[in-house]
Amino acid sequence: MTSANGNNKNKRYGMTIDVDRCTGCGACMVACAVENNVPPAHEGATERKGITWIRVFKVDNGEDYPGKRTAFVPVLCQQCGEDTPCVHVCPQQAVDVDPATGIVGQMPERCLGCRYCMAACPYHARYFNWWDPAWPVGMEKTLNPDVAPRMRGVVEKCNFCHGRWHAAKQRAAAAGKKEIQPGDYVPACVEACPAGAIRFGDLNDPAGEVARGAKNPASFRLLEKLHTEPKIYYSSKRDWVRRIADAPRPPMGKENLRG
Amino acid sequence: MFTPAPWRLITDTALWSENWPGIPRPASGEIKTRYTHCALCPAGCAVRARLVGSQPVALMGVPAHPLSLGALCPFGLTGHQLPYHPERLKQGPEHEASAAVAGAIAQCAPGERIAVLDLRPGRTASWTYRRAMAAVKNGVYLTAPQPLEGAAVNLAAARTVLSIGAPVMEGWGTPGNVLAARAGFRLIQAEPLESRTASLADLWLRIKPGSGRALALSLIAQLEGKAMPAQAAAETGLGESQIADLAGELARNGPALVLAGDDVPEAVPLNRLTGAWGKALMARAEAPVPDSWKKAAPPAGLASVPDGSIRALLIDESVPGDYIPWNAIAPKLVPGNPVVVVFAWSRSGYGRHAQFTLPAAVYPEMTGDAPAAIDSPAAAFRIFTPLVPAPSGMVDPAVFIASAAGIDASGALRERADAIHKAGRGTLFTCADVKSRPVKELKPEDFWKALNEGGCWMDAGWQAKPPAPLVEGTRWQAKAPASQEASELPLLVALTDLPGSAGLVSPLMSKLYQESNLRLGRNRAALNPASAAACGVGEGAHAMLQTVLGQRPIQVTVSPSVPPGMVEVGASPEILDICGAFSRARVAQS
Repeated sequence: MTSANGNNKNKRYGMTIDVDRCTGCGACMVACAVENNVPPAHEGATERKGITWIRVFKVDNGEDYPGKRTAFVPVLCQQCGEDTPCVHVCPQQAVDVDPATGIVGQMPERCLGCRYCMAACPYHARYFNWWDPAWPVGMEKTLNPDVAPRMRGVVEKCNFCHGRWHAAKQRAAAAGKKEIQPGDYVPACVEACPAGAIRFGDLNDPAGEVARGAKNPASFRLLEKLHTEPKIYYSSKRDWVRRIADAPRPPMGKENLRG
Repeated sequence: MFTPAPWRLITDTALWSENWPGIPRPASGEIKTRYTHCALCPAGCAVRARLVGSQPVALMGVPAHPLSLGALCPFGLTGHQLPYHPERLKQGPEHEASAAVAGAIAQCAPGERIAVLDLRPGRTASWTYRRAMAAVKNGVYLTAPQPLEGAAVNLAAARTVLSIGAPVMEGWGTPGNVLAARAGFRLIQAEPLESRTASLADLWLRIKPGSGRALALSLIAQLEGKAMPAQAAAETGLGESQIADLAGELARNGPALVLAGDDVPEAVPLNRLTGAWGKALMARAEAPVPDSWKKAAPPAGLASVPDGSIRALLIDESVPGDYIPWNAIAPKLVPGNPVVVVFAWSRSGYGRHAQFTLPAAVYPEMTGDAPAAIDSPAAAFRIFTPLVPAPSGMVDPAVFIASAAGIDASGALRERADAIHKAGRGTLFTCADVKSRPVKELKPEDFWKALNEGGCWMDAGWQAKPPAPLVEGTRWQAKAPASQEASELPLLVALTDLPGSAGLVSPLMSKLYQESNLRLGRNRAALNPASAAACGVGEGAHAMLQTVLGQRPIQVTVSPSVPPGMVEVGASPEILDICGAFSRARVAQS
């Protein structure tokens, strides 16, 4: 449905990430964990078994010094818009795409932990709870009241801080508004990025910063050839960074982006 | 078979088992907002805390803040979790320590000293220590060395920045200010390893480890039109033409600011030659202090104290600061039975060597203040307003030391605020209403109240002054190892700094250190694949890092970004105690 001003009635939330601005500080990663009650690593957790809904990867152009160039690429759930792989493979209907927002949601209560979705996700942006979520004694007092911690044995992933979306809806309703105003709802990583590299907004709003950023000639998406229509748009003026998006060079000879 | 009951039972059992032994349920309550400043590094960024009831559950930056510009680093974002760190000290022998210090003061012989080591000078607590040491017979106030001789940097005025190993993009200065100014200057990073700053620089010059001074001397010679010092260019690993080009760029594209750590004392003279002094680098006045405080012990460096002369040493490790390796401190203590008291959050830093380790409040429990950061040209004064009360049993180092010296420092912060107000200069920024007001328009009570609600005082401006003379003996020297044979110790050590002298980081920082490869964690070491193969270690191997000063267990990461012949180590007090800057080491399987 399209309104008079050309906007779809439904939102299609998405992000633009300026790779050239990312400093690899990791503020997005910890802000996400704080917001979404992701616990600290279990003693046995590694880069393969840890839970990081957004993870910053260090990539390079494959050359040695002095020709070596490096970039930092934050990777999170790409919020696929078409043929969302994780939705198709879930036997429990624990994954869905919210038509009102375009957000790919994960319902841990329905998840049986088969991890088909993890295998199907081309971006390795889904994480399994190998252990009971645990915080050092007392630290559970710092949990965000808007988000329920997940249990052992289920998969979780980025949902664009859905708790913040609910809170923004409530605030809008309390103020007598039907719609969330741009800027009233931003995920924690966007708010925390000190470099302003991550922007968030409605891709259906052609005047919005994100929709305009997505049309930037330097903009690209990860593994675009799979036609999953991700709603995360990266941008970089460097050709080699854009090339990596379609053919990630596994670091250290490991088999996937996560090692 | 077709009845749903058994399937339902299986599902419920599975859910029950997943939830056992119980998942924490977040507490609910009224949502509030409070403002304070981060105490985890000298930047003192402004913080907006989200509280449920009285409990902070999230920290964020304050976008309109004139100094921090809304940025908060990952350490600051997780600061509210620090009070619950599992390694935290909960009690300590306060009375025994107090008696031992009183005994040491009473028995201090003429050639002996009572010393306070302040790892983050410039605070109001630092003034308390200086006043206390002036009141004590043979008292001496020791500080950590300051980069650029304590001068302030104005990044916005620089067109070129040459950083000799300074972590410009990794928490140096105020992150928000650095990022805001970054587009305005060309960054040249001279460093042996590809740090994050080197990755993000416009030009990375891979110099040899420990050759920062040689590079600075070569550039000085070039800029003065003299011949380059013999072997200096070779020592850096750069060609003479490369150094000449670099000097040409500094002269051409000015103001060109040269940043370096305290291990390159030539940085300030170099800044004079490039024309940065007075524009991008300047001496800065401190925030006003009460007149009665000015009779205080002057800052002194560890090197100015004779060996074997410190009878009692009190180390304030309550706020993270630069860690001076213990092997530089130990020779200064009197032989026999020196009294060493450390105020710290855990025993992982100097507490390992101290006779008494007293538990100190951590951010955001502590009360204190932040002076202006290195990249603030004007003086500033901000208070760390506690967001949660400190547990019982915590010892305030300023109160303890003042009491030992017989002075009253209980209202020091208020006295300082009143002195600033009395001076009548500058403006006060308040976070809640995002307004700046001249101090002259405020009453003393309102000024104090606003400071306690996250307000920030900034001086009216800055004036270029001649640099203060270098504090005598500020630079410490690690005890020189007897011999470092390349055949026995084939690897050069490069330390990756962690903020804080004793690694005070939230357990949630495992996202960066353990659950991803973004940062090298404490006691982890990265080796080139060839070096790792030569050492007989592989990815994830548990090994020993051996230097002439000792050995420490490490976990190995194999990374092609580390040059062959080097080992990059995540610095921790334990590692710093056995590794000086660019010492040699060997990695052996444990």
